[in-house]
Amino acid sequence: MTDSQWPRFEVFLQDREGHSHRNVGTVHASDSELALQNARDVFVRRPSCQSLWVVPATAIYALTKQEIRENAGLSADDSEQQPKNADLDVKSYLVFQKRNQRRTMSYVEYVGRVDAATPGQAMAGAITAFDDPSSTVWWVCPASVVARSTVDDVESMFTPATEKAYRMPQHYRIIQQMLEAKSRLLGKADIEQDA
Amino acid sequence: MSETNQPETGNLQEFEARIKRGEKVEPGDWMPDTYRQQLIRMISQHAHSEIVGMLPEGAWITRAPTLQRKLVLIAKVQDEAGHGQYLYHAAETLGISRETMLDALLSGQAKYASVFNYPTLSWADIGVIGWLVDGAAIKNQTMLAQCSYGPYSRAMVRISAEEGFHMKQGKEMVIRYAQGTSKQKAQVQDAINRWWWPTLMMFGLPDAVSKHSDTLKRWGIKTRSNDTLRQEFVNEMVADLNTLGLSIPDPDLRYDQEMENWIHGPIDWDEFWRVVNGAGPCNAERLATRRKAHEEGQWVREAVAAYAHKHPPGSHDD
Repeated sequence: MTDSQWPRFEVFLQDREGHSHRNVGTVHASDSELALQNARDVFVRRPSCQSLWVVPATAIYALTKQEIRENAGLSADDSEQQPKNADLDVKSYLVFQKRNQRRTMSYVEYVGRVDAATPGQAMAGAITAFDDPSSTVWWVCPASVVARSTVDDVESMFTPATEKAYRMPQHYRIIQQMLEAKSRLLGKADIEQDA
Repeated sequence: MSETNQPETGNLQEFEARIKRGEKVEPGDWMPDTYRQQLIRMISQHAHSEIVGMLPEGAWITRAPTLQRKLVLIAKVQDEAGHGQYLYHAAETLGISRETMLDALLSGQAKYASVFNYPTLSWADIGVIGWLVDGAAIKNQTMLAQCSYGPYSRAMVRISAEEGFHMKQGKEMVIRYAQGTSKQKAQVQDAINRWWWPTLMMFGLPDAVSKHSDTLKRWGIKTRSNDTLRQEFVNEMVADLNTLGLSIPDPDLRYDQEMENWIHGPIDWDEFWRVVNGAGPCNAERLATRRKAHEEGQWVREAVAAYAHKHPPGSHDD
């Protein structure tokens, strides 16, 4: 009934300067430009964004701690992860990690870069360079496939959300209003008792 | 893949040990097929509920009494679209495609929360849906934010935070109505009378008959039972509605001193099943509206696809 869906893009959101970009989910889009627009609509309805990155999901090589342990050797370079026509020139890869197993609010987030010729080498390099016993998920992707919002986009894409205070729960002063309703109710009871 | 050589039971033991330690399961990790299937069922139904949930309130956007109320309602409905997207994404990480889920919704195969098959008859319904329906949803979502599957729990944290706004804008409307004219009070009371029972049904079947509960609990998907959440909701709502001078449409409602609980009367589960199975007041209308929206978006998808075909990645000459 539906038509073919567009490719998936992983979305990384930086909520404020100095924080790292963290993975918040995916959007479907026909290209990176529309993926950025969709990411803005889906993930930035509240005043909490400084920058967005989108990455085609197929360009990400991901492993969990369990997979690394069970696979022992990293076999990415002889699997489908190996891009067609891979030029074996060394290029820059972005590295993402999820560092906590238990807390809900721990994301796969950007930790830095490694240089490598293939995704498998990038993964091996990432595991060595960003060795962290608490890390449970590793992602790598070529830096060249990342589409980023720019400083010029901030005003049109992210600033309007900051003016929408009505999207914030505290805007409605519910606790205060219920206390007032309660004291009115109690006040009425007092008056009835006095009478 | 080396792990397929391992005996299934070894994997299951390790999996259950991880759940017990409170670890999050991530895409790529080994998981029992039943765990995967149950999550796909729950998350996709939840996503469909968000998408269909836009319709009862969306019907009132053009009739909002002030510009401010209209902005709030538009923002709320936009959030619901976004929540549907977060959830479809979480389900996709388990190996089902978004297209398959959308097909299931549009063909009428998929289930979604039965509460959205009731009509919104007055503006007061918007306040009551926000407070009662979203309030009930938050109870469930706050629990699911703790669930063992990483992508679902993270989607739930985001959703719960945003639902806080939905619930509070609704509660604020009901407070204002309750302090208004006698006509306004009667209007909001009528809305409560119509939404109360469908809201209690949102928590799902009683624990004694809920067939999924045990496995869901053992694998850390649901950590609290349907009846526990429903009881907590009833206790909070009865107290607040009483404070506002509004009543609950339940002649059997009584306070149990010993347990410190408000005990509600019997829920009409026959009605629940009738509505789930398609015979609710608005089932046909909801589905027809979704299909129409999908068909009317066809030209946009075609235009985007044509553009993408003309401008493959890397061909931009700007």
